[in-house]
Amino acid sequence: MNLEILGITVLWTFLFGYIIVGAIDFGAGFFNAYSLLTGKQRILTKVIQRYLSPVWEVTNVFLVFFFVGIIGFFPKTAFYYGTTLLVPVSIGVILLAIRGSYYAFETYGARGHKGYSFMYGLAGLLIPASLSIVLTISEGGFIEIVDGSPVLDYWVLFTSPLTWSIVVLSISATLYISAVFLTWYANKARDIEATDLLRKYALIWSLPTIITAGGIIFELRRHNFDHYTNIQTFLPMFLLSFILFVGTVWLLWTRRNYGWAFGLLAGQFAFAFYGYGASHYPYLLYPHLTLYDSFTNPAMAIALIIAFILGLGLLIPSLVLLMRLFLFNKDYVRGKDDFHV
Amino acid sequence: MGNEEAVFYSRVLTELTLSFHIIYATIGVGVPLMIMIAQWVGIRKNDEHYILLARRWARGFVITVAVGVVTGTAIGLQLSLLWPNFMELAGNVIALPLFMETFAFFFEAIFLGIYLYTWDRFENQKKHLLLLVPVAIGASFSAVFITMVNAFMNAPQGFDIVNGELVNINPIIAMFNPAMPTKVAHVVITAYMTAAFVLAAIAAFRLLKGSDHIYHKKALYLTMKLGLVFAIATAIIGDFSGKYLAEYQPEKLAAAEWHFETQENAPLVLLGVMSDGEVKYAIEVPFGLSILAHNNPSAEVIGLDQFPEDEIPPLYIHYLFNIMVFIGMWMVLLSIWYWVGIKRNWRSVSTRWFRWLIVLGAPLSFIAIESGWWLAEVGRQPWILRKIMRVEDAATTSGQVDLMLMLFALLYLILGIGSIVVLRRMFRKNPVERELADRQTEKGGDIQ
Amino acid sequence: MVEFIIFYAPFIILIAAIVVAFLIAPMDKAVNKED
Repeated sequence: MNLEILGITVLWTFLFGYIIVGAIDFGAGFFNAYSLLTGKQRILTKVIQRYLSPVWEVTNVFLVFFFVGIIGFFPKTAFYYGTTLLVPVSIGVILLAIRGSYYAFETYGARGHKGYSFMYGLAGLLIPASLSIVLTISEGGFIEIVDGSPVLDYWVLFTSPLTWSIVVLSISATLYISAVFLTWYANKARDIEATDLLRKYALIWSLPTIITAGGIIFELRRHNFDHYTNIQTFLPMFLLSFILFVGTVWLLWTRRNYGWAFGLLAGQFAFAFYGYGASHYPYLLYPHLTLYDSFTNPAMAIALIIAFILGLGLLIPSLVLLMRLFLFNKDYVRGKDDFHV
Repeated sequence: MGNEEAVFYSRVLTELTLSFHIIYATIGVGVPLMIMIAQWVGIRKNDEHYILLARRWARGFVITVAVGVVTGTAIGLQLSLLWPNFMELAGNVIALPLFMETFAFFFEAIFLGIYLYTWDRFENQKKHLLLLVPVAIGASFSAVFITMVNAFMNAPQGFDIVNGELVNINPIIAMFNPAMPTKVAHVVITAYMTAAFVLAAIAAFRLLKGSDHIYHKKALYLTMKLGLVFAIATAIIGDFSGKYLAEYQPEKLAAAEWHFETQENAPLVLLGVMSDGEVKYAIEVPFGLSILAHNNPSAEVIGLDQFPEDEIPPLYIHYLFNIMVFIGMWMVLLSIWYWVGIKRNWRSVSTRWFRWLIVLGAPLSFIAIESGWWLAEVGRQPWILRKIMRVEDAATTSGQVDLMLMLFALLYLILGIGSIVVLRRMFRKNPVERELADRQTEKGGDIQ
Repeated sequence: MVEFIIFYAPFIILIAAIVVAFLIAPMDKAVNKED
């Protein structure tokens, strides 16, 4: 394994982490807002807020980590993506800002404020949509080089079926991941009503998730044939991913072992995500930028990797502590104790 | 939109984002230490008031942290979106502290989550206080790492450019550039100072609004003392910054001090206005600049005459410098006055107007922070990376920066108003007197 | 001397200020008379 692949694997892992924890987070915010609208907040709000409260800030860091890391390991991405992504990423940032701050406003300052809850619920749902545009653009065909600088063609972008399938996938996957996780969490909290409702949501959102995911592979055939061919090489990973998906749905359907259901779901997304990433290799941006021509100098790469290893040494124990205190602490999950500041 | 416009709007947007972010970032760096000190005092003296002080500060802190986090994310991404050419170069040399900043921030975020949700969960309160240590360290080190990047922009080193290619890159040398120590120390200490004065202003405001509770008096005394210590340290480090500038960035010092001709026994120009290229109404402190720059009244100080016209920063930074320095001095005086006054039972320090002066200290401190940053950034002009890359060569070529500027301005307005509304509501609904009474009943038979 | 001031002294002052802050923070006799 060379440094380039090591670097991108680390970053890809953080992006994967962001997609999972972010999806749980954003989906939870949306379900919370939706339950306010349908008058079901009595059932959902408690369990959702129990989970969300201590972890919201951590979610954001995964994203920051990814984009800081990619500039560090692959500085040229700043030039290509920085120049072209001004509008979509700015919109994503604005949504993130609204989502993050209004979540805190509602949770710490004005419990149960409906306006705030709607605001962060909706903003959260749009974040995956706006950020997923980056993945679409990376497939190539939307960026032209004009006078030496890359320019994004919005018309082509927004009339492409690929764009919209990825948008739909990002939203439905968000809700699906979130619902599966929260089913498990509600079940651990022994909250039967919430478990049932969330299980229903999970089953509903499983369908559009798998349909769009399959559809995207199909559309790539037309849009980016090279990538499509590469995907065939990694077909076993995608098949495995599909089997895990079936497993999750089956467990949910038969109301069995929700913990395993979430585990299988994580596996499903991991296989699909790393399979997609691997088939994208070596391009960071089709056809302009590869891992190799954008990679930083060896001195910086080694410094970053050392910093990363030392950082992980600090982070992993802290994350374990966080999870033991909240996620996997029976008393906390069941709402027996409340030590909020 | 021509590129000139893209450059202009990119500058405005970056300035807006930084100016907004720095308010919350300063609170975010400074307040954890204040919470820690208050809680520590509370545990040590077994004084419920200080513990509650820490707890209430922590509650308000969450709101500001949230805005700080999201605006920090915004500036992080905007660096790449608005200055892609700069980030491409910087990514090669100075990505290390940027990367480490993420870790510091991660560390802080995790423990803040734990800290906030474990009040009274531990039998031993010291354990809970211990959780705050990584929060305070993470917060301060976020500032340290990110300021290292800014220092690098002022004093780039750790690489060579041969035929337009970056060679001999050494990320560690880039991190430990000459601008780093004074800049990092100044940023961190002013964050502590500002946090102390903001919290003092809140206590003084409660006292003005009719509460006469000893809780507020303790809070005020504590924060004013802390403010004094940090304000003095700020002044000393500020003086070191002057010496750094004289040595490594003389054009910035010269522009900030309106020092036009290179000379020995250089006087320090204070206040004054510039009209038609002439300085009017200024106070000249004899030998002042030579002392500031070199600790020696007769030392030679390089003036603006040594630099080509197009490498001189805008002269209005002199006003920013004055605002920053005078506010700093004023806060030192105010807090000394208060401290001595309390010790000696002076009546003046418990009068209404004096308390209003303390309240005024909060916005003044922020004005000083803002002027300091504008001075630092404008004083580096025309460079984004001193002597290596000009600002206009670093900016994006995108045509939509003006639209983004409007969107972000709206966002900051919403966040600014939102955070103020929420903070007011939070503390108004739950005044300290009631909370103290509640805690008494909660404890019930416990020995106080 | 100049090198010391530019490279080391700022951190010494910063750390000293934090230490002093902790030392003087508990001294509240002046406002704690009513207890």
